[in-house]
Amino acid sequence: MTRRAPRSDYARIDPAAPDAVSFELNGRVVTAPAGTMLVDAAWAHGIEIPIFCYEARIGAPIGACRMCLVAVDGLRGLTTACSTPVAAEMVVRTDTPEVRAAQDGVLELLLANHPLDCPVCDKGGECPLQDRTFRFGPGRSRFIEPKRHFPKPLELSPVIALDRERCIACFRCVRFSQDVAQDRNLAWQERGPRSQIATETGEPYEGRFTGNVIDLCPVGALTSIPYRFIARPWDVFNAPSVCHLCPVGCNTDLSMREGKLMRVTGRPEPNPAVEEGWLCDRGRFAHGGEAADAPARLKRAILREGSPARASDLEAAVVAAAWRLDTAKAPAVLVGPDATVEEAFLAQELAAGPLGGAPLARLGIPGAALAPLRGLAGAQLGELDAADLVAVVGGDPANQQPVVELRVRKARRRGAAVVVAGPRPTALDAVAEVLRTAPGRLAEAMAALGRLLEAAAAPIVLWDEADLAAEPDAAAALARLVAAHPGARQLELAADVNGAGLRALGIPAEGVLEAALEARVDALLCVHADPLTAPGAARWARALDRVATVVAIATHESPITRRAAVALPALSRYEDEGVLVSMAGRAQRLRPGARPADGAAAGWEILAALGHRLGAPVAHRSSREAFEAAASSRLAFTGLSYASLGVSGQVIGPTPAPPPSGAGAPAEPAGEGLALVAMTEMFGDASAWRAGALAAWRTGAAVSLNPAEAGRLGLVGAARVEVASPEGRCVLPLRIDAALPEGGAFVALGAPGSGAEALLPPDRHAVRVTLTAAA
Amino acid sequence: MPELTLTLRHRRAGAPLRELGDYERAGGYAALKRALANLEADEVLYQLHRSGLRGRGGAGFPMGRKASFLPKDAPLRKYLVCNADESEPGTFKDREIMEMDPFELLEGMALAGYAIGAQRGYIYIRGEYNHHAEVLASAIVQARRGGYLGEEIARSRYSFDITLYRGAGAYICGEETALLESLEGKRGQPRLKPPFPAVAGLYASPTLINNVETLASVPTIIERGADWYAALGTEKSPGTKVFSVSGHVLRPGNYEVVLGETTLRELVFEMAGGLRPGRRFKACWPGGSSVPVLAEQHLDTPLDYESLNAAGTFLGSGGCIVMDDSGCIVRASLRLAHFYRHESCGKCTPCREGTGWLERILQRMVDGEGRMEDLALLEALFGRIGGKCLCALADGAVAPIQSALRLFRDEFVRVVEEGSPRPEPMVEAAVAAGA
Repeated sequence: MTRRAPRSDYARIDPAAPDAVSFELNGRVVTAPAGTMLVDAAWAHGIEIPIFCYEARIGAPIGACRMCLVAVDGLRGLTTACSTPVAAEMVVRTDTPEVRAAQDGVLELLLANHPLDCPVCDKGGECPLQDRTFRFGPGRSRFIEPKRHFPKPLELSPVIALDRERCIACFRCVRFSQDVAQDRNLAWQERGPRSQIATETGEPYEGRFTGNVIDLCPVGALTSIPYRFIARPWDVFNAPSVCHLCPVGCNTDLSMREGKLMRVTGRPEPNPAVEEGWLCDRGRFAHGGEAADAPARLKRAILREGSPARASDLEAAVVAAAWRLDTAKAPAVLVGPDATVEEAFLAQELAAGPLGGAPLARLGIPGAALAPLRGLAGAQLGELDAADLVAVVGGDPANQQPVVELRVRKARRRGAAVVVAGPRPTALDAVAEVLRTAPGRLAEAMAALGRLLEAAAAPIVLWDEADLAAEPDAAAALARLVAAHPGARQLELAADVNGAGLRALGIPAEGVLEAALEARVDALLCVHADPLTAPGAARWARALDRVATVVAIATHESPITRRAAVALPALSRYEDEGVLVSMAGRAQRLRPGARPADGAAAGWEILAALGHRLGAPVAHRSSREAFEAAASSRLAFTGLSYASLGVSGQVIGPTPAPPPSGAGAPAEPAGEGLALVAMTEMFGDASAWRAGALAAWRTGAAVSLNPAEAGRLGLVGAARVEVASPEGRCVLPLRIDAALPEGGAFVALGAPGSGAEALLPPDRHAVRVTLTAAA
Repeated sequence: MPELTLTLRHRRAGAPLRELGDYERAGGYAALKRALANLEADEVLYQLHRSGLRGRGGAGFPMGRKASFLPKDAPLRKYLVCNADESEPGTFKDREIMEMDPFELLEGMALAGYAIGAQRGYIYIRGEYNHHAEVLASAIVQARRGGYLGEEIARSRYSFDITLYRGAGAYICGEETALLESLEGKRGQPRLKPPFPAVAGLYASPTLINNVETLASVPTIIERGADWYAALGTEKSPGTKVFSVSGHVLRPGNYEVVLGETTLRELVFEMAGGLRPGRRFKACWPGGSSVPVLAEQHLDTPLDYESLNAAGTFLGSGGCIVMDDSGCIVRASLRLAHFYRHESCGKCTPCREGTGWLERILQRMVDGEGRMEDLALLEALFGRIGGKCLCALADGAVAPIQSALRLFRDEFVRVVEEGSPRPEPMVEAAVAAGA
């Protein structure tokens, strides 16, 4: 936990790169790769050329703020260092009287109309304008006129406040919206001194990545409404952590004040291999739902020894849980998709040791047919920058792994072709060649995809875990295409947050459910696992009817904690340490950004205490030691430690894969009716529903149909329909959407209490559903 | 006082040349026909180069050199763009050309397009030029019908057509890269250079962009020969230039003169009819409002690029604004500062914030709230605004005010000391007329 280093804004360069040229900087001969912008090259050599509008991640420089003027021999006047590439033998000075006067002058002009309300400005203390004024600016103002006024502040959106008086017109936010997120919603209106940021439509700024403009703003013009007036930078401690809300594994920065997590921001030093500093709005704003006092948190241990349930202290509840597991004849363990590596490893040790070889499984997709794909050369997200073709096969990354959308759009800007194959309309369709397939028929796209791959030199295939697990024939065909191409690489669009980590520990996805259904389990320990809200919920409900005792370790209340004989409150991912492995195989550390919730304990600590009570005390006394024990006994983690993971993580080794099975044969959907297409909305899951900050954007459960399809089924005008699959049934609101193809029922998953997960089998095998109007 | 009418061809003809037949009878399209029949594109380009024709929009960059910057082997199509966003205060020469000699512009564009290998030309015309846009639109239709625009023009193998595009009334869109942005349908703001339009201009393609008067000079050059044209005027300022004279003169209007052979005194006192009786010459902005002001001691400066530079100003667009001794230089400076503050696009910090600051300081002076230290503050701000921006708008805002403060410092001091400037010139003139 540290004070935050100021955001540096400069692109990282390697002065010793093979193509580096030497040039003279303030009298020193230094090197930088040819073509590097002078501001970045100077920063790498310890010289700060102040900037405001320059932001290499957004795109080509625009040279608007004029802050970076420097003297270059041979060029008339001063020149903007943000837009001047380094060339061999160039002679640059950043410290002449002319340069200093220009810097002082631009800052004096920037401050002329800038309100000096720093004491009440949220940006105060971490404000580039403040910092650079101290270093490069005038000490006093000669501007005696009244300053420019705008009504302030405006709600640009439910999460962003806009103070137009503070804006210095750096255009970063507008360029982000126009060029990076490409939601094209923010615009620059009016001209000259009355210029201002606004949305094109006058409606609130909506998008999936809007919060990034808060990080980008070099002044207090765009501030976070949830964080408004909450803390000052010198009051907060920051921890570099990783987002646990999807498997992308975006690197985050957590700000803590008085033990509470106050905000989540992108890292001052972005991880170029993953998120490049961008966060999605869920990752940025959903943390409120996990606060210690959030209504949905499991705050006390619960014991149900006969009814009624009663709250207990954690110590007594652990004793009770240990006793339950100890006296069980056939215990089993289920690990949830976002359990950390440490928790899963300790659960494995518990199952293998004191629980006498109890079966252990992860709650997730078995995906035996995916092994050939996973075995092929993998790519990191950052490598999309150098791809010439990006193929998205199945899924909907814009909603499921949001930051992937930004990385694909960037690849497109850099000249890559994009192809999207699958049954769902996605946000990326706008920049892609679309190979629309019938629901459950991804294999149809393979011939066209193969031709596109062949024409590319360095393609990267992004493939959706759930979709391809459901279609083994498509998975096998895709694996053949990628394998046949010497330059092609693949990147999994995973369904589970730490699925890769759990697989790397050797945890199967099968075994426990099957045993429970056959009444061969009498006590089930659920570690961050709620099978009653996961795909396969219907089958799990039947299985749990046959399980006498459930012990649940959980952060939030859920159907499984309400069903459990003992529910043990665990620390949230913002309070705990641990390692998560991203879908690209990066092991990255969670670091606590909030004080542990009262009455709860870290998941790994609860598991260690259970081991102790069960007569097998574990040797590791911290999550660090638990990880090191995992690293020394699991091949994929060999050589890794908390120290080696550092702040930006490491790619783990290859995971020993089970022999592929079920490959090649097309999987016929079970049941009758329309093929079910699972949909995920970015603000549609429990994390979004728990967060007050996202209240305006959250979406609920629904089944959506093409209008023609709805007509054929006689559902026109029906508000709610009963949806039935061979697995289970539920009642969902009906939406008609002409953008959807015919032949599928598009069911949004994830909304708390919708029951839509009951329609799916646990292995995500394709199913068909029938729809009937509900009362 | 050699007034030589070349570009203002209708004056020679004695009538507007708005009908294709009239233009042809006045010798129009002879140059295009001859060039397409007898000259390779490179030869036309070479003629433009040899003629020494300099851009008449304000910067004075040699047109042939600019055209030669277009890459010869670029795979992208090339564009010719005519800058008809004539918004410089005091400048109305392009307006007369478009209104009276529209075909001369179209012919010049076809020749320039042929020289650089463009098949498509655009005329970006100032939004307020409603009538002129209609005249041009009619001329384009006539030229198409007459075979001078469209497929295989003038019975050659060269195809060239022109699209007329109307601006929305922003001064900044006369800046070439802002014009291109606006033409692409974006917000009109200058682009970072390089790349220059010759390499990546309209739609990121090689683009030659020139002013109306420049392009309208091309038919004469091809018709009479580059050497004949280059022999006019001085070595570095060949040819003729149209000056728009306005302000306190008795015969305001456009005057086409051979560069270097006429003095400012001759332009103001002979061609433009001199000042009102009893008035004394005070100041003159010889190249539009964006150039440093001249005073009485500069009256004998010859009108050409170098001589005006030597006098500390620029030839600019040739919009010559004259002020006699009824005018107040502080008020005039305020009026200019107001214009540039209003027209600043807001992209660059020094211009966005600086033009407004200049205006407010001058406003205080005019309002009687000036302070002596404001003079030093103004001088400090000139250096912080001028030469610091992407385009020349801020330089244009600084130049007339900075020069006014240098040449007429006593008047600034008097205004600050006395707390009020003298009455508005027009008010005084009206009072005099009424009396």
